[in-house]
Amino acid sequence: MELRTTRATGTTMDSPNRKLVRRGLSGLGKLILIGYAVFTLYPLYWLFISAFKTNEDFFKRPYALPLVWMKENIFRAWELGGMGRAMLNSTFVTLSSVVLTLAFGLLAGYVLSRFQFKFKKVAVALFMAGLLIPIHSTLVPLFLMMKQMNLLNTYGALILPYTAFELPIAIFLAMGYMASIPKEVEEAAMIDGNGWWGIFGRIIVPLCTPIVATISILAFLRFWNDFSFALVFINSQELKTLPLSLALFSDGFGTDYSLTMGAMAIAVIPTILVYLILQDQIMKGMVAGSIKG
Amino acid sequence: MPTALRSKGFIALALLPALLLFVVFVIIPIFWSAYYGVFEWKGIGASRFIGFGNYSEILQDPIFWRALKNNLILVISAILGQIPIALLLALVLLKNSFFSRFIRSAVFMPMVLSTVVVGLIWGYIYHPQFGLVNTVLEAIGLESWTRAWLSEPHINILAITIPINWSNIGPYMIIFIAALQNISPEIDDAANIDGAHGGKKLVYVTLPMIWSTVIVTMVLCISGSLKAFDHVMVMTHGGPAQSTELLATYMYNNTFRVYRYGYGSAVSTIIMIISALLIGINYLLTRRKAE
Amino acid sequence: MKSIRKMSLMLLVMAFILAACGSSSGSNNKAGEEVTNKDEKVKLSIWHNFAGDDLRAKTVRGLIEKFAQDNPNIELDAQAIPPDGYRQRLSTVAAGNELPDLFFVYAGSHSTELYKAGLLQPITEVVDANPEWKDNFLPGAFDPYTFEPDKIYTAPIGMSATSILYYNTSLFEKYSVKVPTTWDELMTAVKVFNENKITPIALGNKAPWVAQSTIIGSLADRVTGTEWFKSASAQKGAKFTDPEFIEALGYFKQLVDNKAFQEGANSIDNTQAEQYFIQGNAAMMVSGAWTLTNLAASSSEEQMKVVDVTVLPSIPGGKGDPNTISGGAGGGMALSKRSEGAVKEAALKLIYAVSGPEAQKAIAESNSMVMYDTEIDQAKVSSLYYKAFNLVKKTNITPVYDAYLSAEAGEVINNGLQEIMVGGTPESVAKKLQDAQARSITP
Repeated sequence: MELRTTRATGTTMDSPNRKLVRRGLSGLGKLILIGYAVFTLYPLYWLFISAFKTNEDFFKRPYALPLVWMKENIFRAWELGGMGRAMLNSTFVTLSSVVLTLAFGLLAGYVLSRFQFKFKKVAVALFMAGLLIPIHSTLVPLFLMMKQMNLLNTYGALILPYTAFELPIAIFLAMGYMASIPKEVEEAAMIDGNGWWGIFGRIIVPLCTPIVATISILAFLRFWNDFSFALVFINSQELKTLPLSLALFSDGFGTDYSLTMGAMAIAVIPTILVYLILQDQIMKGMVAGSIKG
Repeated sequence: MPTALRSKGFIALALLPALLLFVVFVIIPIFWSAYYGVFEWKGIGASRFIGFGNYSEILQDPIFWRALKNNLILVISAILGQIPIALLLALVLLKNSFFSRFIRSAVFMPMVLSTVVVGLIWGYIYHPQFGLVNTVLEAIGLESWTRAWLSEPHINILAITIPINWSNIGPYMIIFIAALQNISPEIDDAANIDGAHGGKKLVYVTLPMIWSTVIVTMVLCISGSLKAFDHVMVMTHGGPAQSTELLATYMYNNTFRVYRYGYGSAVSTIIMIISALLIGINYLLTRRKAE
Repeated sequence: MKSIRKMSLMLLVMAFILAACGSSSGSNNKAGEEVTNKDEKVKLSIWHNFAGDDLRAKTVRGLIEKFAQDNPNIELDAQAIPPDGYRQRLSTVAAGNELPDLFFVYAGSHSTELYKAGLLQPITEVVDANPEWKDNFLPGAFDPYTFEPDKIYTAPIGMSATSILYYNTSLFEKYSVKVPTTWDELMTAVKVFNENKITPIALGNKAPWVAQSTIIGSLADRVTGTEWFKSASAQKGAKFTDPEFIEALGYFKQLVDNKAFQEGANSIDNTQAEQYFIQGNAAMMVSGAWTLTNLAASSSEEQMKVVDVTVLPSIPGGKGDPNTISGGAGGGMALSKRSEGAVKEAALKLIYAVSGPEAQKAIAESNSMVMYDTEIDQAKVSSLYYKAFNLVKKTNITPVYDAYLSAEAGEVINNGLQEIMVGGTPESVAKKLQDAQARSITP
């Protein structure tokens, strides 16, 4: 990355005036970006201040800081929503599904982007169809099918459909990304005596860190926040996931916003952490060394 | 040929788990659901085969066409809004400085929030009495422009596109950043030596390099916009008077609120057909452009 | 060699998935599959949506827990499902014929559809076994659940009184407005409040059932009379295109045209409207008994002190009784057709536990109306609730529209009222409603 900056200054042989204009523009650009960031961060801030308000305060002064900081909201939401258990379930279900999505999605994406074979087009079209499905329409058939398979009310009732529904996106992102990895990389590895599994595991996957991180973030968010599947396929209290806890405090006639906000504030923290961790991985892209090696 | 055989084995084995899982949990339910579409069925109790009765009723329902129109508005706004802004942000924020990292995280944050929070905060922004938009308009003397943004038909669907785009830019941005990482510095160098800068470099070097990703994001935009559900459900319930109805909310209401399960299934089959058509058109258009 | 190793790795992954999937299938018992040997516990499952933190939900959950403690021989599996997803969950599960022994059903099309699908069985025996209990229910309490003559399918747990007129006494005093008892007085009030930049009536109609449930049912009944509505919904001798119904919708349109509701009422939800009202931005609000529960949870006694309740004003020349509130039986626990023997016995016992005399009293004392004649301890409830409780006691009940209309027709009138609010005409809405109801009555 330093290379880029030196290059930039090195090639600009502009007059001082234009330099100044450019600097001014980049300053303006930064201002715009900061403005945009405020615009996108505000709801998060709002969620956290609202989580500490009484209901009355929430409605009376929606934008102001809490009059009294109601820490109880968080504790009560945690307790009433059974969020401890739900958090564990969500973590297990989400992580398992992300791992499966990555494993299956990358493999399939690799094959579909690199090999020519008879049914390739069919396979691509089939996965493509998966992108088009409104999930609500599959609820009843999935329910009936998983009943037959004795899967209902198990972690599998969530993990398997989650993975299956996320595979199309994972595969397409992987395909799109792998298409731009030069073929020479594999040819070199082939000469070194690697089989396809070796090439995939030792060469391709390490090169894919950015897209792996991207897929993981998207999948994580989807699984962590899913309400419909968790609502219908899970029965016992011990297996319930977080989104069900978040919906507890609203009954169609009214919503207890202090508790809802409290519960949401709790649930959003892991997603922020996961994003921040994975964001750095996205940036660990292809460095010059790994290509030449 | 041992290598050919080996690669055949590899292809089969590598594809198998994904394919198996996908066919069982996605493809079978789709066909199953499409099958319900030819029945008059309430989701419970007896069903009656009616052939394409549901389909012809759907095509005659003005609400369906309105929902489709609203979805197309979302598709256009997503392609014109989300993709260019996300790409621009990705290009600008490619550096690994603290500033870029901060802005990148900020841009992504709407995505981590639950739709309920997004809906609530935008409900306040658009609030007819003490909303931000109206307050600002009043402050700058444009009182005649103030309105109930989410209630007024024709305007409300446009008002809804903004929060949707706003939430979805983040993921597209990181997809682009991931793709841009993949451009090898040599190509970048070569472009610079050839004197390509700014817009020229973007069009002739960068875009072609990540073209496959651009297509992927367009496909995701189209399919995502046609499936859009959550934001509208939270902000307007598809109302008032079904003015912000989308295909997915139309399907959901028929399926779970009015107990017309067969009809709802037929709607979702139509949603898939329309998505497939649009993606096909997109494929033809973008292929020509790439060449 | 290598590929064998990879293959076994793959198998390992698969095995891991299967293990993860199977690990929790211990709790996988379905309703109706139980073996009921003598020394074995009776397994009973119940689903409800009393999941929240409000007093009513806590009271009902408490009743269920108490039942579990009092009956150690029954293994109770009680599930509190988030109300927002309850119908969806129940519909999906019903399609798979996987309903629990007992489940909460709503009055109206929800329970009717479940009945028509043959998924319910009557609970008449437990009602008949406790005549003093049965007789204390208010008139009409069992009407929505009497699908066949003399067969009762549910005992209502609550009552929905949907059209109480809440008003802010201090605002009425401040602008010296008379609390409206006639339509003209209402229109005068609307005018005065509008002149003083006070919203006359707060309405949160984002979920479009609100205006239908709280306003049109009661308003139309004052114009058309109850008999007309019952004939029209049965499509016998009356139609929704009749002039009296168009007139009723016209009154609603008058409210809209005179800006009785705050701008953008269709994009804010009921809770927001309640808060708008309780904070003194609006002089009136037409809402159901649920507002009592909500306000008890989210506003101060100070705010509620200035609020009083009454019925909607009368309509000149109307055929209906003006001293009425629209309402009816609330939801109740329904019994799955598949439950039999000891399970059924236990289920009926549980129904009595959550809707019997003591339960009704406890629920009534949780700031929530019941369809049952009971005395409540004034000290236990909010002052506003106590006022409303007494108001409802001395008024008659008229039908809520969506409790009688088919689900589809209900959606049509809900959307139709929004349509009128954005400029639609009563005639076109009436026609759509007529078409929808006619279609669902005669398939």
